[in-house]
Amino acid sequence: MKLFQTYRVLAFVVGVLLAFCSFVALPLRYIPTEGSDLQQLGETLSVLWVAHGWAFMAYVVVTFLLARRLRWSIGFTVLNLAAGLIPLLIFFMEHKVNQKVRAEHPELVAPSPV
Amino acid sequence: MVGPYAGGVSGRVSAKLAPRYWGAHLLALVLVAAAVGLGLWQYGAWQAHRDAEAADLTDAAPVPLTDLMGPDDPFPGTKVGQPVTVSGRWVPGGTVYVSGRERDGQDGFWVVTPLAVGPDDAALPVVRGWIAHPEDAPAPPTGTADLVAWLQPPEGTGQADDDPNDDVLPQLRIADVIQHVDQDLYGAYGVAEQPEPGLERADLEQLPDVGALTSIRNLLYAIEWWFFGAFAAFIWWRWLTEEDQDEPASAAEDTPVG
Repeated sequence: MKLFQTYRVLAFVVGVLLAFCSFVALPLRYIPTEGSDLQQLGETLSVLWVAHGWAFMAYVVVTFLLARRLRWSIGFTVLNLAAGLIPLLIFFMEHKVNQKVRAEHPELVAPSPV
Repeated sequence: MVGPYAGGVSGRVSAKLAPRYWGAHLLALVLVAAAVGLGLWQYGAWQAHRDAEAADLTDAAPVPLTDLMGPDDPFPGTKVGQPVTVSGRWVPGGTVYVSGRERDGQDGFWVVTPLAVGPDDAALPVVRGWIAHPEDAPAPPTGTADLVAWLQPPEGTGQADDDPNDDVLPQLRIADVIQHVDQDLYGAYGVAEQPEPGLERADLEQLPDVGALTSIRNLLYAIEWWFFGAFAAFIWWRWLTEEDQDEPASAAEDTPVG
């Protein structure tokens, strides 16, 4: 299913951007002395927050559609949506979703080489 | 149709208005309001940053007008609002009043006198200040002056001076002002930083253009927040109108009628 693949790609993109912004761009921007080269680099890298925000918008829509299609519970849906805002959580949730889909909707997963 | 959900969409909506759902409605309202508010805040920040950047040039160190342009040069496009120093001799006979200038919501006039600053007495029209009624304006200055003015491109989108014989103009158009003087005029005018005693300070009509990307992040954030607000509203609406999956809503349709 295209939607599931899209979800996985977006989850990866959002996760990487969020982790990079939180663990690299944010400390660089605030920890080095104001105006130093490192701090300026952090300032520049902070542009990626916008990329995260827009990727997250797409992620929210796709995840919501997937949640409805697969009839996830409200709690699981909300947790997955929020995972796009909490660093690293999304990788864990994507793993969970992958397991869940394989268990409940094996027809959605492309046949893997045995 | 029979059954508890025979009312269709409106029936489902009214079922969702029961007191036990009020918390959910409140949450939805708060989320939508917060997203709209945060979007407006970012949008405001976007505009404020752009205005601040536009105003920046007006705080720059003044440079001599003669370094920026000559009397016959086109207006230097990046210098809108640049403070310039001008020194020369007033041309009191060329004083005009430009109508339709608002200040603090009050309609009034700009008081403009050319200052001969350039080679061959070429003059720059200088907005000396603002006044509500031209007849109250102080007499035009004579002699020489050194002053700092904000450089502005000439106006003139074609609004014709309906009476070329008086000294009131609808726009600060060089082609109109030149009828009132005997010398060449610059293709620009200045707004005096310090208004003359008896006059109020005139507001700048034109500020420099700000790059399209200035503070674009705030605008992108604003769009994001509004998107999430719309998304929350959409989910709220879906939840209001869709059938509750926990209850046997579709059973009613399976019941044979008669």
